[in-house]
Amino acid sequence: MGTRERGRGIDRRRLLLATGAAGLSATVLRSVAAQNDPTGSVRIGVSEDGYRTDERANVGFYPLNTNIFESLVYLTPDYQIEPMLAESWEFVEPNTWRITLRQGVTFHDGTAFNAEAVKYTMDRIASNGGGSIGVDEHSTVIVDDHTVEITPSYTNRRLMQQIGHPNNSILPVGLNPAEARSGTGPFREVEYVAGDHYTVEANPDYWGDAPGVAEITFQFYPDPTARLLALQAGDVDLITDVPRQSASQVEAAGATLITGPVGAYEAMYFQIHGEEPYDIGQDRAVREAVSIAIDRQQIIDSAWQGNAEPGTTMIPPAILGDSAELVDAPTYDPDAARQLLEEAGWIEGDSGVREKDGRQLTLTLVNGYGTAADHGSVPEVIQAQLAEIGVGVEIVQTPDTATYEQRLSVGEGDLWLEAGSQNDGNPAFLPDLLFSTPEEGGDPEATMYGRAFAPGEAFDTEITRAREAVETAEVQEAAARAMNVVINEERVVIPLCGFYRLIGASSAIAELELHASGVNQRWTSLRLAE
Amino acid sequence: MLRYITRRLLYLVPVWIGISLIAFVLANLTPGDPARLALQRELGRQPTAEETAAAREQMGLDDPAPVRYVRWLGDAITGDLGTSYRTGTPVLTSLADRFPTTLQIAGGGLLLAIVISIPLGILAAVHRRGPIDHVSRVLALLGASMPSYWVAYLLILLLSVRLGWLPVAGSETWKHAIMPALTLGIGGSASLMRLTRSEMLETLNQDYIRTARAKGLHARSLLLRHALRNTLIPITTVLGMRFAGMLGGAVIVETIFSWPGIGKLVVDAIFDRDYPMIQGFVIFMGTVFLLVNLIVDLGYGLIDPRIRLAGK
Repeated sequence: MGTRERGRGIDRRRLLLATGAAGLSATVLRSVAAQNDPTGSVRIGVSEDGYRTDERANVGFYPLNTNIFESLVYLTPDYQIEPMLAESWEFVEPNTWRITLRQGVTFHDGTAFNAEAVKYTMDRIASNGGGSIGVDEHSTVIVDDHTVEITPSYTNRRLMQQIGHPNNSILPVGLNPAEARSGTGPFREVEYVAGDHYTVEANPDYWGDAPGVAEITFQFYPDPTARLLALQAGDVDLITDVPRQSASQVEAAGATLITGPVGAYEAMYFQIHGEEPYDIGQDRAVREAVSIAIDRQQIIDSAWQGNAEPGTTMIPPAILGDSAELVDAPTYDPDAARQLLEEAGWIEGDSGVREKDGRQLTLTLVNGYGTAADHGSVPEVIQAQLAEIGVGVEIVQTPDTATYEQRLSVGEGDLWLEAGSQNDGNPAFLPDLLFSTPEEGGDPEATMYGRAFAPGEAFDTEITRAREAVETAEVQEAAARAMNVVINEERVVIPLCGFYRLIGASSAIAELELHASGVNQRWTSLRLAE
Repeated sequence: MLRYITRRLLYLVPVWIGISLIAFVLANLTPGDPARLALQRELGRQPTAEETAAAREQMGLDDPAPVRYVRWLGDAITGDLGTSYRTGTPVLTSLADRFPTTLQIAGGGLLLAIVISIPLGILAAVHRRGPIDHVSRVLALLGASMPSYWVAYLLILLLSVRLGWLPVAGSETWKHAIMPALTLGIGGSASLMRLTRSEMLETLNQDYIRTARAKGLHARSLLLRHALRNTLIPITTVLGMRFAGMLGGAVIVETIFSWPGIGKLVVDAIFDRDYPMIQGFVIFMGTVFLLVNLIVDLGYGLIDPRIRLAGK
């Protein structure tokens, strides 16, 4: 007997209530122009054009979600899922999701949205490795015109929380997004000029609430400073991804800075299975001392100009719901850190760096994920903070992600600085991928995180429970306990900052509901000023 | 002449094989799995083992490196340079699409460098130690010491933010090309100005100039018809090298101005270990360098008849 999670219709009021419940609200900047229908046009400066144009084409849905396409479910800004193209869903033991689809929805090209479209989309994902949802060519079965069953290739009870990612947007049968873009979304394509701009207009036949603006042009600016200058020059009305270090320049330029809820993180991981000379992390006292010697607020103030929140978990706490309280983040206490090291036999040497059995307590901090530039001056701030407790830090900046991962795969480092974002509703996916005990003899690259950081049975037990639970509350509770193992009990993960999105808006913009996850942004809430 | 050109063009074949082999070996020695990197960018997260395996199979990365190189070389002979791991588009199509856009700003930049540097260099040489010489020296110093990204931001602040004359970035209209070309041109002018000045000074001190001047030749004619022509050989050499450099190395300018050129394409390819694109680029740019050098060499003959006659 399966459990059933009934969906509710998504509308503007519910969205506002949902975001309000998470301490969020629509950012109302100015008086909204009186309107019934979509009106006016907006130019938005976004970062690089990252669309692919081959058989894995993602034009129109990721990494810039232009709202042309939609997924089966919607990820709310507080990381809960609500119905979108799926009206309801039901878990059928042992591993199947039966999904009832919304009726009366059409794609922009006039074809009907139905079970065949879902199967076509899921089979397309399967041919590319199955995605995070783990579907294969046999996974999707059409029950009737508006019902499908999806059985992942492995036990995945988190499927509905993952399937809302824009990468899983539903395409009409036979569509290759490299050639044409036709979805069910609130906006439809007007023009895509690769590397330059993407223009969409309001879909007059949209099944949900109509968008606030009639046309949006997304102009690509790979360089963040040029993007900011474009806002200042009046070339665009809104810019995304304002660099944290230069956020103050938005207001200095006469524009408004909009911030959203936390949707990304910065954290440092301690290698606990390294070989000499990268084996200091095996000493739990050192890990704990380092974790409580980090002053998160100082990092935020000096490296991020105040534009972040102290991190308490590795992923946005909102995704854990009430269970976020189960994660005990380390508290800054440098005196206790010094005492811990003294008790563990690490005594301060002449150079100010502690020593034990003739070995200096110097750690190698590797910076390079996503890129070294993503972390600004954070490595140097950490270096200075750890020097205060007699821990030396050598900083290694890798030129790109590949070099960082190559270094990780051979375990050459003690501390690993990473940044990432949460873009689906599964709180267990990332911790599972990074910290689960790897299989013996597994692919070296696929297992490099586990080989460096996996804390063992206590974590594995909780993360398995999170993977296999059906009820959302149980998933959140198990994921929080798993995270508490890596953060508090084993001190493998040191949370640093929770990042929220920074948007610059000109006086032309009246209102925008900012999503925690950029790829899940709904542009329907955008309103022009009077 | 035709035989000379044919011989130079035939040099391209060993050059292609040599540089493509070097590029292939270097790219494969660089750490990083192209499949994993492509997926990371595509998915915005670490890929699963299953996703990586599927991508590796799609990209043909499961075969040994020598097999992949020979297969690539075989395809390249037929004009197929492979498909980009990063974008999924044919390499030759991407290069052919992007090259004309880079050519626009590089051509504009070169023209600007010529217009600024050669007259100023001549004037500085003629009025040695005079105000024009001092001003040109300061300008050259500024041009050489200002990094291109800084020049680009200054131009945007002035021409877009302050004056509102030009769009900040993009590539839709001719207006979008002005600032990238200006940035490249300013960067290229400094050394060219100093080179023109020093070459012109050297030429002006030659005996034949002194003789011509003694015979009462008009100053302008002396300068432009006799002195300038003899300074043009080294200037043309440097212009050719600088132009080829602009074609392949305008990545910062292309990024700031969101200009979809070839420089940005290849830097992204390097970060993503996009082997087919890297190899296609080195072959393409190797060809461009060789052709530019060929044109420069042919230009020598036009500038100086002695070279043309010696060739015969």
